[in-house]
Amino acid sequence: MSFQSGATAGGASKPEVQPEAAATAASDPSRWVDEDGDVLYRYALERVRKPDIAQDLVQETFLAAVRTIDRFRGGSTVRSWLCGILKHKICDYYRKLGRETSFTDLEFLNDECAEKFVPEGYWVHMNGPKEWKPEADEVMHRDEFWKTMRDCLGKLPERVAAVFMMREMDELESKEICSMLSISDSNLWVMLHRARMALRECLAMNWFENPEVRH
Amino acid sequence: MFQEHRSWLQLQIVLLICRFAPTCTEVARILSLGMDKQLSLIMRMKLRIHYLMCSFCERYAKQLKYMRTVAREFPEKIGEISDAKLPTEAKERLKEALLK
Repeated sequence: MSFQSGATAGGASKPEVQPEAAATAASDPSRWVDEDGDVLYRYALERVRKPDIAQDLVQETFLAAVRTIDRFRGGSTVRSWLCGILKHKICDYYRKLGRETSFTDLEFLNDECAEKFVPEGYWVHMNGPKEWKPEADEVMHRDEFWKTMRDCLGKLPERVAAVFMMREMDELESKEICSMLSISDSNLWVMLHRARMALRECLAMNWFENPEVRH
Repeated sequence: MFQEHRSWLQLQIVLLICRFAPTCTEVARILSLGMDKQLSLIMRMKLRIHYLMCSFCERYAKQLKYMRTVAREFPEKIGEISDAKLPTEAKERLKEALLK
C-alpha cells in the first residue's frame, strides 16, 4: 500500500510518517537494531519465553527485513513493519515445533476450576464472576494492569499460552492454528477454553477483585 | 440457586427451564466456543434463557470479550512495560550480520 495523501481531506489529524524520515531509517538497517531491537525482543520474549530463541527470532526478522526492504514504502512506521515480520517468524517457529513435538496440552486445568462450581454445574455463589471495574478504556492506560496481564499470561503453560496468543493477539482463525500446529479442532478448543478460564481467574484475583489495587 | 420464597409453581417453572437450559459449566464451554465460531440460533437462545437466571454467566461472557480486547492491545504495550533488553553483544552481532 502506498503512502496515503489527501485521502482524509478535512478529516482527522492522524500523525503521518514523514517520507524522508522513513526513508533514512529504512536505508540504515543498523539503526533498526538500536531503535527497535529492544521492543522486538521484548515481544518475542513474551511469546516464546526463551531468551536465546527470542534473540534468534529478532535476528531472523532483521535479516528478512533487509532482504525485502524494497517492499517497505513508508506507509507505516519501520517498527510496525518489523513487528509484522516478527509475528510471521514466531508463527514459523511454532509451526516447526508443532511438527517436531505434540502441541496438545490437555493436562492443564484438568478440572476447569471445579471449585468454582457446585457439583450440579452451577457457579458457587461466593465464587461466581463479579462485575469488573474500571471499564476497559481506563485500564488500558495503566502500566500496573499490563504487568498483571503479562504475569497472568506467564502463568499459563507454554503451549496453552501460545495457542491463546495466536488466537487472541495474532487473530488467527482456529482452523489456521490447527493446521499450523497439527492439533485437532477439539483439542485446540479445550486448550483455549482452559486458557480463558485461567486467565480470567488470574486477572480477577490479581486486579479486578484485588482489594489492594486502587481502581 | 433456588430461592426459598418461590412458590411451588414458580419452582416447577424454574426446574422446567433448567431441564432445557445448559448448566453453568456447559455455558462456560459454549461461550468459549462462541469466541471462535458462530453459534447456532438455538444455542444463542439457550444462552439468553440461561442469562435470565444467571448473571454470573452473563458476566463471564462479557469478560471473555473484554479479555480479547485487552489481548489485542498487549503487543503494543509490552514494549513499554517490559525492561528486557537485547544484550549488547547480540546487537553488535546483528549489526554485523546486517551489513553483509
